[in-house]
Formats: sequence, structure tokens, C-alpha cells
Amino acid sequence: MDATARDVHNRKMTRTPIVAAVAAFFVFAAGAAQAQDAKRGEYIFAAAGCAGCHTDTANNGQLLAGGRALKTPFGNFYGPNITAHPEAGIGKWSDADFIAALRQGRRPDGAHYFPVFPYTSFTKMTDADMRDLKAYIFSLPVSDRRNKPHDIGFPFNLRPLQFGWKLLFFTPGAFKPDPAKSAEVNRGAYLTQALGHCAECHTPRNQLGGLRTDMMYAGDLNHAGQGTKVPNITPHPTTGIGSWTPGVYEDLLATGLTQDGDSVGGDMGEVVANSTSKLTPQDRAAMIAYLRQLPPIDHRVRGGN
Amino acid sequence: MRSNLRLAAIALGLTFAATGVFAQAPEVAQRVDRMKAVGGAVGQIAPVIRNERPWDGAAVAQQAQTVATNLTAAKALFPAGSDANSRALPAIWERKAEFDGAMDRAVGVATNLAQLAAANNEAGFRAAFPQLGQACGACHTPFRRPQ
Repeated sequence: MDATARDVHNRKMTRTPIVAAVAAFFVFAAGAAQAQDAKRGEYIFAAAGCAGCHTDTANNGQLLAGGRALKTPFGNFYGPNITAHPEAGIGKWSDADFIAALRQGRRPDGAHYFPVFPYTSFTKMTDADMRDLKAYIFSLPVSDRRNKPHDIGFPFNLRPLQFGWKLLFFTPGAFKPDPAKSAEVNRGAYLTQALGHCAECHTPRNQLGGLRTDMMYAGDLNHAGQGTKVPNITPHPTTGIGSWTPGVYEDLLATGLTQDGDSVGGDMGEVVANSTSKLTPQDRAAMIAYLRQLPPIDHRVRGGN
Repeated sequence: MRSNLRLAAIALGLTFAATGVFAQAPEVAQRVDRMKAVGGAVGQIAPVIRNERPWDGAAVAQQAQTVATNLTAAKALFPAGSDANSRALPAIWERKAEFDGAMDRAVGVATNLAQLAAANNEAGFRAAFPQLGQACGACHTPFRRPQ
């Protein structure tokens, strides 16, 4: 071996492990980053309450495999399978597909979602939160459960009409903090509006199913056309929850306990179990700070809210 | 005559329907009272946990015991099909073992809380108290009709 050949050989010898190490580092870093994203996504998943509508809990359905009936005045919808199964679920979706679904209410094939899927709220999520959420959902076990077609009447079953609905009632775009409010109130607004999508039930809707923006969080006398009442959660002193101390809010969000010693059940019981009880105390405090500074609206939904 | 008979039969049927199907079983009012006693006691304890009222081990123990006693009594007041004029959902009898298990867990949590308070173990009581709200919700979410 002459000097030049030895030099090349030596360089190769030293380079190979470096290349391998660098490659290994990137593979490791990518894996670690993915795991980190999924871990953050697990928190977003809880805060956004995805499990509720996408899991048929009453029939011991698999997490996110869909099938849960959602009754509305327009008919019955069935939560779809959003596990990462390539055929039955959303396994073939790119990050861009996932973001378009949440931000624009648009299916990868371009069709419009029905607003029973609260993309109207999720549109406010940051891109980063959407990506982390997808990473977490894609880390869960898949299900091959086929989607059940929605059972809705004409003309509401016409997806193209949803384009008109969006023009009327949908404002796409990520949450913008209000510089006039504290960081805590802004964090609470993000949690309440974008992730918790609380307004979807706590705000009454017009005849076309759009939220009545003059009645934000003022409660609903006939939720989803099912005759159930959803309380007014504005801080109005008599018809809302303005008499609550922050501790009463915290008890309710953390454990479901109400001021009068009852505990919430039904849909809100699920929200507490799946969502608000899993938030950090700091995030619950931020939601409480946000709710307590909402404009109070005088709207009696039921006696002694 | 025949139409009168038919009317009488319909009236009789309606009476049966009213009494047999739609009438409230006596257990309904009894269990509502029991659950009101539970709520009343929990409503006394919660402000103590929120530091809105001072800790009193003996009083809190008594209230936690009230919860356990009344929950135990209420559990026995859900005869099959007693969901008329009640917020009880048919799921109670469709999944009775799950319902009974959830009730038993709530009784267990309340009994444990009563013992902690009786021993004046304030820190232990505070740490265990959130379990009670969770135990209540575990029944109210699947088994109680929303208002």
C-alpha cells in the first residue's frame, strides 16, 4: 500500500463510523422527536376531547374506531373511524390532509365535512398542535371497523351545500391572542375555543345550525334538538355562573363536582373524564380566568344554574 | 254497544298504561331523597376542601359517613325497569353489574374518606377527596339522563 492509498484507506476507515454515527443520530433524533410530538399530542388529544365522538364507549368500542351515534335536528351522524388504519381509518393522510380537515373542514378528496365535526373550533388550533395531535393518533392501535353512513335527511345530506354553510357561519384561521388580555386569559381562550370547543354545546344555534354569536356561552335550551339543557356558563350572577368562586369552577373541571354537591353526568361527565380532568392545574386556571372575564349574558336555561 | 265496549277496553288499556308503564315506582322518590342527602353532605364538605370553611374532622367524618350510608341505601332502590318519571337510564339494567360496581366503588371512596376524617387526617382526606367526584361521575355519566 503506497502513501496515497493508505491515506484514502485511513480516511475511509475514519469516515465510515462518523457517517454511521451521524446517520444513527438523525434516525434517533427523528424517532425521539416523533415520540416527543406524540407525547405532546396526547395532551392536545385530551384537551380537544377527540375520544368522545370518535369512540363508541357505550358499546365498549375501540378508542377512535368510530360508530358512536350523534343525534342532531338534521339526523343521526356516526363518528368515523380516525385510527391510522390505511383503508378504514385515516392512515393514508398526510400532515397537510390532517391540517386541512381541522383548519378548513375539508376531506382529503375535497368534500366538505358537516359541522357536527367541530372544525369550526379546531380551525383555531396552531399548526404545531395539529401535527402533534396527528402524531399521537397515529401512535395508537388501528381498527378496521368500517364507517357507518350518516343517517340524515334531504337536503341536509348534500355535502356541496356545506359550502354555503361555511360561507355563512365559518371563519377559518388560527387563534390570534388578544394583546389587551393577559397571557393567562389568552391561554384560557385558546384552550376553551380552539381545543375544548366548549361553545359548540354551550352556545345556542340558529335554524341552520350556526352558532348564535350574540349568545356565546349563554347556554342552550334544547341541545341538539334532544330537549336537553346546556347551562349558561357566562359569569351572569343569576342565570349564569357568576356566583361561583374559582374553586367551584376548579372542582367541576377537575372532578365533575358541582356547587350544590351534585356531580355532572351525561356529555359534561364525559368532558370531565376525557378532557378537563387531564389538564394541568395551570391550564384549568387559565380556562377559569378566561370564562370569568366573558361578557355576562342574561339567559335563563334552568333554575339555579 | 259494541263501540261502548271498545271504548271501555281502550279506557281500561289506558289506565293500565298509566299505572303500569308510566307510573313512578315508589323507589324513585326514595332514591331521589337518598341522593339528595348525598349531595347535601358533599356540598358541606366541598367548601372545606376549597378552604372556604375551616376543617373540622368530626363534622367532615359525619358528612362522609352520610354519603356512604345513603349511597348504600340508594343502591338497593333500583328495581328493574324503574326508569319511568326518573332520570335513571335503562342502561342501569342493561349493564347492572357495571352499575352496581360503580355504586360500590363510590361507597368505598366515601367510607375511606369518613375514616380519614375520623382520624383527623386532613392531608390524607384532601388528597383522597377528588376520588369522590370521579366516583359520582362514573355513575352519572353513563346512567343518568341529562336535564
